[in-house]
Amino acid sequence: MTIQISEGEFVGIIGPNGSGKTTCLKAILGLIAPSAGSLHVFDCACEKLRCEHRAKIGYLPQKDRVEPDYPITNFEVVMMGRYGALGLFNRPSKKDREIAMESLRAVGMERFHNQPFGSLSGGQQRRVLIARAITQQPKILLLDEPTTGLDTTTQGHLLDLIQSLHQGFQLTIVFVTHDINLISPVCNTLLILKTKVYGKGPPVQVLTQDILTQVYGKELILVERENRPYVIFNDTHHTG
Amino acid sequence: MSSFPYDPISEMFSYGFMQRAFLASFFIGLACSVIGVFIVLKGLSFMGAGISHAAFAGVTLAFLIGAPPLLMAIVFGLLATWLTGTLQQRQGTKPDVAISILYTFTMALAILFIGLMKVYNPEVYGYLFGSILSVTPSDLAVILAVSFTILVTIFLFFKEFHFISFDQEMAEASGIPTNKLFFLLLGLIALTVVISMKAVGAILVFALLILPAATASQWAYNMRSMILLSAVFGVSGSWLGVILSYWFNLPSGATIVLLITSFFFLSTVFSPKRRK
Repeated sequence: MTIQISEGEFVGIIGPNGSGKTTCLKAILGLIAPSAGSLHVFDCACEKLRCEHRAKIGYLPQKDRVEPDYPITNFEVVMMGRYGALGLFNRPSKKDREIAMESLRAVGMERFHNQPFGSLSGGQQRRVLIARAITQQPKILLLDEPTTGLDTTTQGHLLDLIQSLHQGFQLTIVFVTHDINLISPVCNTLLILKTKVYGKGPPVQVLTQDILTQVYGKELILVERENRPYVIFNDTHHTG
Repeated sequence: MSSFPYDPISEMFSYGFMQRAFLASFFIGLACSVIGVFIVLKGLSFMGAGISHAAFAGVTLAFLIGAPPLLMAIVFGLLATWLTGTLQQRQGTKPDVAISILYTFTMALAILFIGLMKVYNPEVYGYLFGSILSVTPSDLAVILAVSFTILVTIFLFFKEFHFISFDQEMAEASGIPTNKLFFLLLGLIALTVVISMKAVGAILVFALLILPAATASQWAYNMRSMILLSAVFGVSGSWLGVILSYWFNLPSGATIVLLITSFFFLSTVFSPKRRK
């Protein structure tokens, strides 16, 4: 597959389970080396993990693996975003602490800074993890299913936050999701994956019955709602 | 040995073996409880048990061939650590399976080496069950030097160990050399186990690694308080254990472990996290 993501773009990646969405993010992060071909980040062929450019990529992993009892405050979680840039043996400075607090403020979680991370709701935890990602002061923010498992209202709030970060910090956003209808109104570019690229472009252009049927099978209907494509899955058990 | 209440604590310190026992139990309690925080948070509890049995196999081989026991324990402990890590990372063996293989393999070796000994050696059983009151000046020197090294290393890599324990994938994505640091952490666990064997024994050292940290986690809401509380539980349990085993002529390892276990159960009852 050949994909190019431009600076300042908001890219949504959709596709069924096992289509390579998360693998794609992990390759960009340098957690997985490409088995063939090449990968350039900031025009650098930095396939090695510890290329300096990686520090400019913020990442929100897919699932929360944190035990509710884990003794860590939200501020400590966010501060971890500075550790990569700090390097071994260096302790966070006053400036690092200010950046961490500023990030918590940006996601609206400043007043929870001293509270245990495990005591937060799912949506609040995602906000803190987004704060950790932006504490890196990244140029790119990779989000792996950030809205999964959240109620509709919280999903909306989180999406508003991501959009405001995209605009406020001129961040390039790569947003992996199962939820086509959630992502298509907000992204500039939609990438449809199923081990290869089935479509890449503005959502109105790539969300066609033909492409969606090839990727998801026949159990969906494409309708128009508020001048935008809207996908309805016939199989109610389908995850997205 | 005198018994309570005729021998106050001040008088205990007049004996060289008690001075050494207090110093050794302080440093062992501290090293175990601090590294135990990372063991508990990273879910490596059984690693401690696996390493302690490997180290015991090293001790038995040392007595069989006439080599220094602590050195052989360190070699076996580190080898076992490396073997388990490699089985997991290269062969994709599940952690619990890799540790179980290591556990039984090294225990079989230990039994084999004991069986090959021509005469009964009570010192071997000292390492199995522990006896902090019999720590020699040279043992104490090793315990001080190694625990100091362990604590300084943890201090230097504190933020990285903290990050790896919380979220290894993110730590890796942030450019932190997680694999090397993970092996370093395992190596430090091996060293901690080895220096603690003489005091609490190979069987019970596992408890000294896990219980202070598990007890602290009932009370702590951040990393610093968890480490501090774990150290308080580990050191106070070790000291109280030494005093009680002296007064009542009890096996020191078992006394220390039972005390720390009681801290744990009391915490589960009174912890603010459980009372919600």
